[in-house]
Amino acid sequence: MSETGYPWPIETTRLANGLRVVVSPDRTAPVVAVNLWYDVGSRHEPEGQTGFAHLFEHLMFEGSVNVPKTEHMRLVQGNGGSLNATTNPDRTNYFETLPAEHLELALWLEADRMGGLVPALVQETLDNQRDVVKNERRQRYENVPYGDAWLRLLPLLYPEGHPYHHPTIGSMADLNAAELGTFQAFHRSYYAPDNAVLTVAGDAEPAEVFALAEKYFGKLAAGGARPAAPIGSLDSWAGPVSSVVAAEVPAPRVYLAHRTYPYGTPEYDALTVLATILGQGRGSRLYRLLADGARLAQPDTVSAYGVDLAYAPAPLIASATARPGVTAARLGAALAEVVDDLVAGGVTDAELTRAKALLETEWWIGVATVDGRADLLSRYATLFGDPARVGTRLPGWRAVTADAVAEVARAVLRPEDRVTLVYEPMEAVA
Amino acid sequence: MTQLIAQRPEPGTPRPYRFPTVVRRDVAGGQVVAADLPGHNLAVASLLLDAGGGRETTGVEGVAEVLAKALEEGTTARSAADYAVALESLGTDLSLSVDWDSFSATVQVPVAALPAAVELLAEAVRRPKLDPADVTRVRDDEAESLRLYWANPGPRADAVLRADLFGGEVRHGRPLSGDPRSVAGLSVDDVLGFHRSWFAAPGTLLVVGDLSRIDLDALGRAAFAGATEAAALAGEPFPVGARASRRIVIVDRPGSVQSTLRLGHTAPHRSHPDYVPMTLGAIVLGGAFTSRLNHLLREVKGYTYGIRSEYGLSRRFGRFVVSAGVQTAVTAPALVDAVGEIARTQAEGVTEPELAVARDWRAGQLSVGLQSPRAYAGALATLVVHDLPDDYHARLRESLLHATVEEVSAATAAHLNPTGITLVIEGDAEKIQNDLAATDLGEVTVTAV
Repeated sequence: MSETGYPWPIETTRLANGLRVVVSPDRTAPVVAVNLWYDVGSRHEPEGQTGFAHLFEHLMFEGSVNVPKTEHMRLVQGNGGSLNATTNPDRTNYFETLPAEHLELALWLEADRMGGLVPALVQETLDNQRDVVKNERRQRYENVPYGDAWLRLLPLLYPEGHPYHHPTIGSMADLNAAELGTFQAFHRSYYAPDNAVLTVAGDAEPAEVFALAEKYFGKLAAGGARPAAPIGSLDSWAGPVSSVVAAEVPAPRVYLAHRTYPYGTPEYDALTVLATILGQGRGSRLYRLLADGARLAQPDTVSAYGVDLAYAPAPLIASATARPGVTAARLGAALAEVVDDLVAGGVTDAELTRAKALLETEWWIGVATVDGRADLLSRYATLFGDPARVGTRLPGWRAVTADAVAEVARAVLRPEDRVTLVYEPMEAVA
Repeated sequence: MTQLIAQRPEPGTPRPYRFPTVVRRDVAGGQVVAADLPGHNLAVASLLLDAGGGRETTGVEGVAEVLAKALEEGTTARSAADYAVALESLGTDLSLSVDWDSFSATVQVPVAALPAAVELLAEAVRRPKLDPADVTRVRDDEAESLRLYWANPGPRADAVLRADLFGGEVRHGRPLSGDPRSVAGLSVDDVLGFHRSWFAAPGTLLVVGDLSRIDLDALGRAAFAGATEAAALAGEPFPVGARASRRIVIVDRPGSVQSTLRLGHTAPHRSHPDYVPMTLGAIVLGGAFTSRLNHLLREVKGYTYGIRSEYGLSRRFGRFVVSAGVQTAVTAPALVDAVGEIARTQAEGVTEPELAVARDWRAGQLSVGLQSPRAYAGALATLVVHDLPDDYHARLRESLLHATVEEVSAATAAHLNPTGITLVIEGDAEKIQNDLAATDLGEVTVTAV
């Protein structure tokens, strides 16, 4: 068994303009992953500008100085690659995986949109992508049962002014209200080499990558001063909160959520193991007690997981959907009881073993591809300043003891800190 | 001062394409098909049985899925809870999957745990307890699970399309997993009978991982223990029945902020000689991000978050489907544009720049998309289900790269059917019906399903 969770070499450098470059070679397959993390997420958005970081994720595919609109997608897919980008509260990432002979193409494309987006950003593109984002909001959040749960949980978990209070998809009114110039300024602030990490994993030599990074990114100007994300205090933000929503849903569903610890801390590792014990798999507490035992929850709906956020106590979310004839109140009480019992009685060694084994496999699945590795390296470089720390997460999970799980459970799963979100089918409420 | 490099770089020299060595081994009456991935910590084993949805008879659709769930309700050796803990303590769940052509049970673990995981996999698949009370409960849960799933946009539209294309009297004219009603109507005997009929054959064990650390014969013996007979042959492909006229069916979803589009027609089966040009044509039309459909409806008009077209092809039948969610208010113009692009592609074929994207994309995905043991297990399953040779992926790559504009245009002309396509729209009927009728794309009917 590998002692580290990351048995591949890692080399790093930093260009004069501040761009951090990470390379992790693995020549077994002729495939290379290019990944950039920009240290900008919805946590940076001031009031009135929510949804900006995410809209940018779209605009970055719409052309830059030397790359006409839609060319980015055409060149990556048309050379055999896969690509995408995502935005979350903490950051925005961009990534492509290509046959290795196209590494230089990917670096050229990424440099062009890092350094050359603003002159190419026009009103027509902005308007078009605002429409696309509105459709994304409809498709992912509004037109599906329970689709807006995350949008509802965040303001219950984090107070106004806290960087995690508002969701990444943002407000359509904010997006509509902003002028082109505001978006151009947003890019100038955050899409600078000294606010990014570039990682290349797979079939490439570090020296070659460093030289290419210098060639394509080395002449990009460093950014100016950037407004820091608000810190956000949770002081005096306590007390159980609950919210009941009547909606077009096919059955009652209950979410319990708690603020826990920031991603990257030993406590969060313990919390991740705890979440697996609580709600991952048929051997989990929620499955055994609510789906199988009491038959209150629909079996394939029980789950518990931590949301990996690093700049404030990250949420743990447990949820279940009621079986026919079971009320939300009964399900909610039972869900809370399972959590409370875990706090009161701790966990067994067998539960710990099961959870660690599942997490071990999950880890190796994550690093089985060069794209999975590249994203983790960018993550650790961005969040903690050291990509090599990626190797510590698996050992961190392995080191979690039953006592450590019990301790974090007692500290952060108290009923008085609980957020409860309940969906009731419309007709049941009427 | 920022300086960008204007010149797009040329590609380097590609390394030759190589699919891992495929090892085939006859063991204990079954076959092991394996791919070697040296150095990988993870290994995957998947037992593939010729027991997919296509083996179900009409009236019991969904029985394979219910059986799949019931396999985890305890074995002759241990209770459901003990089974779950034993398997998950090795680091894996039992991933059960039913498609039209096959049933598969898959485990994925650090390589040292593979023998124990395959033992447990075989225990559930070959020696399940299948207690009638458990089977009844699982059936009820599955019916409820489908009811919850059908509350999402999509499943109802897809069921309506499928019934319209193939007719409700054949199995593949009904949903793969059945519907809430068909599943609720299953009996314990239906479930036990399906296990008796289709789970007695040895099937094929797919194994992917570092083979220097894996004893394939031992895994095969564990997976095939107790298997008896060979499965019956699957049967010939069904004839492709093409419609001559277009129709619009609205599946009412009052209050919906989007209309869910499922546009489709019948197509040849997976082993048709036009497979490569036909699927490349679908990429030009609606597969790549810069495809005709996505470019027009998303990037130019802003009607949708995304629209795609693809062929769904199995051993005995196939269909062509366009899927999208569009804003309610633009449902009619979006539909006109989508049908227009399908018709244009059928009539005029594809261009070289578009085809270049499609062929390089698919060829590249044979490397980029095949990295993990799980992905390779999927590739091996394709070989087994469609009876393809070990060098299939390398050959496929060559035929993709050599497909010409003429071949692909001939395939789009032959296999796209814009005048006989069925246009299913799941949305707010009251808001969209008149607009859709005014498009003259076809007669409009409304169904509540």
